[in-house]
Amino acid sequence: MEPRKILLAEDDEMLASLLKYRLEKEGYAVTVRSDGKAVKQDISAQLPDAIISDIMMPYFSGIELVDYLRNNLKSDIPIILISAASNEENVISAFKLGANDFIAKPVSPSELLIRVSKEIERFYRT
Amino acid sequence: MDTRELLSHLAKLENGLDDFSFTELSTAEASALKRTFASFKHGLEEKVFGASISVPSSDVKSKQYHVDSKVQGTFQESTLIANVSHEIRTPLNGVLGFIDLLKDTSLSSKQSELVTALDKASNNLMDIINELLEYSKLAAGHEKFEKVPFNLANMIGEVAFLCKTLITSKDVLFKVHIDKSIPEKIIGDPSKLSQILLNLLGNAVKFVDNGAITLQVNLKSNKKNRVHLEFLVSDTGIGIANDKLKHIFDSYAQAESDTHLKYGGSGLGLSIVKEIVDNLKGCIAVNSTLGKGTTFKVILPFQKVDLLTDDFLPKVKENDTSREIDLTGKRVLVFEDNIMNQKLMENRLKTWGCDTFITDNGIYGLKLLENHQFDIVLMDLRMPKMNGYEITERIRQSKDSTISKIPIIALSADFSATDKKECKTIGITDFILKPYNAEELKGVIYDHISKSSAHISNSGTTSTKNDKALVNIEAIYAECMGQSELLDELVRLFKQNIFEFIGKVKMHLQSSNFQGIGFAAHKIKSSLKMLEATSLLSICEKISEVCKTGNDKNYLNFLYHQFLDEYPNVEHQIDEQIERLSPNNP
Repeated sequence: MEPRKILLAEDDEMLASLLKYRLEKEGYAVTVRSDGKAVKQDISAQLPDAIISDIMMPYFSGIELVDYLRNNLKSDIPIILISAASNEENVISAFKLGANDFIAKPVSPSELLIRVSKEIERFYRT
Repeated sequence: MDTRELLSHLAKLENGLDDFSFTELSTAEASALKRTFASFKHGLEEKVFGASISVPSSDVKSKQYHVDSKVQGTFQESTLIANVSHEIRTPLNGVLGFIDLLKDTSLSSKQSELVTALDKASNNLMDIINELLEYSKLAAGHEKFEKVPFNLANMIGEVAFLCKTLITSKDVLFKVHIDKSIPEKIIGDPSKLSQILLNLLGNAVKFVDNGAITLQVNLKSNKKNRVHLEFLVSDTGIGIANDKLKHIFDSYAQAESDTHLKYGGSGLGLSIVKEIVDNLKGCIAVNSTLGKGTTFKVILPFQKVDLLTDDFLPKVKENDTSREIDLTGKRVLVFEDNIMNQKLMENRLKTWGCDTFITDNGIYGLKLLENHQFDIVLMDLRMPKMNGYEITERIRQSKDSTISKIPIIALSADFSATDKKECKTIGITDFILKPYNAEELKGVIYDHISKSSAHISNSGTTSTKNDKALVNIEAIYAECMGQSELLDELVRLFKQNIFEFIGKVKMHLQSSNFQGIGFAAHKIKSSLKMLEATSLLSICEKISEVCKTGNDKNYLNFLYHQFLDEYPNVEHQIDEQIERLSPNNP
């Protein structure tokens, strides 16, 4: 089976490389993007199997990304958001717009892996 | 006193504000600014017109009185102006504060041009009000004149230093010459003398585009217990025409009616100088040739310091100049309200490599002491609100022994024997007479810091503070699943993040972009959390907090420097821990 493709949108290089390493170790194919514009271009061209995105991204925030994905691209692929501030308002609007899950910084990679595999399984099983 | 000038500035300010509000900006700050301005204007009109309306009626009753005593009239007038000016300052401060806030919002270039104009007009108005206040205080005899011993050469050095900071053109040469036969210490009012000289030198700087400015101090006469000193301030500027010279010391008379347009200023500067010189029982004269330059001559009497009074002088530590004094990285908290002195002190401490935080607010300073480690406190004893004695008492009463034992050096222009006694009772460690010599200050700071740190390390309380783990990479190492190359890579990225953060904060501090700083601090937090860099994290959290709630640039600057100081320690610990975790070193 071909590995699941994950788009990781995170502008903190350190966190990005740690998560990339752990996701790849788990068998995913990971593309890292460090700004919102690039993410938007990427998903407009071709959708990955799942998206993990920081909320605070330059140019195009994670919230905007959820909105764009669900309402413009009409896609239901799993998207998990990461944010340092567990700013309740942000989280609620992300869920309202259709984010699947949310994880607060500092991110525990093991926790993230479980959440990612759960969402992917649920979405692609059916 | 003419209030027309004041009102015309007010009108200008209002125009600027209206222009500004016509552009699309509709932030809360803008409306708050308008409200503050309206209340300011209302208050001003009430004071000015209310006063002028009430004057005729009181005149009717007390006309006799007014005619009788012209001096009394001036006195009342001056008191009124002093009170009015004082009350105008408060709302104007509000206006200035909101303009500052407005500057931090994102503005179009047109808007920021208007805000700059608004800022300039408000600051001009503030300058005029301050001068007005000062002049009226002098005229009403409210101003106190001191008689304290001071070191003339040090004071002149300070004045020269400030004057040099005013000179922006490279084509202006500044020279100082002091007659060697003048006694080293004399008794008089050093702050008033520096005010006179700064005013005259400030004028010279304003009117000379290229050429020279000279300050010369001569010994005019030397009698048994007093000396007369002659201060000559000459410039090679535009000069003043003969028929204007005789009015030059009149209040509100600038040489040409258009001088104001080109050079600004309220025209009160020289009348203030004249008032001070008169009060000090000296004399002032001016000599000028159009196109050649101007020389102001001030002659002032001073008392000589005899052995008895010399005893009252705080003992100056004799510093061996060959002694190596290194104050790099020392943290100094300065309580000082005079902006000029703040600037001087900041400049000095910075050149010595100290981390300096200066405040005029007692409560705020005490809070800083609680949350941050300082090596020494420099305390101006005369401050508004909470004075130096009260602040010292509070510091000494602190439950935290690192706070209550911190050395406190009092700075004051005058120390009487009672002051000295009081200082000792409330726990001031040492004191320095203003104006002080830089080396003397440096020596005193050094002595007390080394004394107190010796004391603390004996008691062994700080060693734990320093050895505390500032960072812990074990958790992240565990996430790397034994991949030490990945750990190295992550640490490299961490360091890179820190450098980016430092660079961003530095840049945004320069442009006062608090939003940018807040964003950068927020971003770096996750990296700091991952490495459990608690000390850096707490600094960043404070930075975020300050950026969210206000625009306290001084405090941000301070936190930024604290971060810079702390980071090398953290980096050192990271490297140590990596060394320990590496597989070659089980």
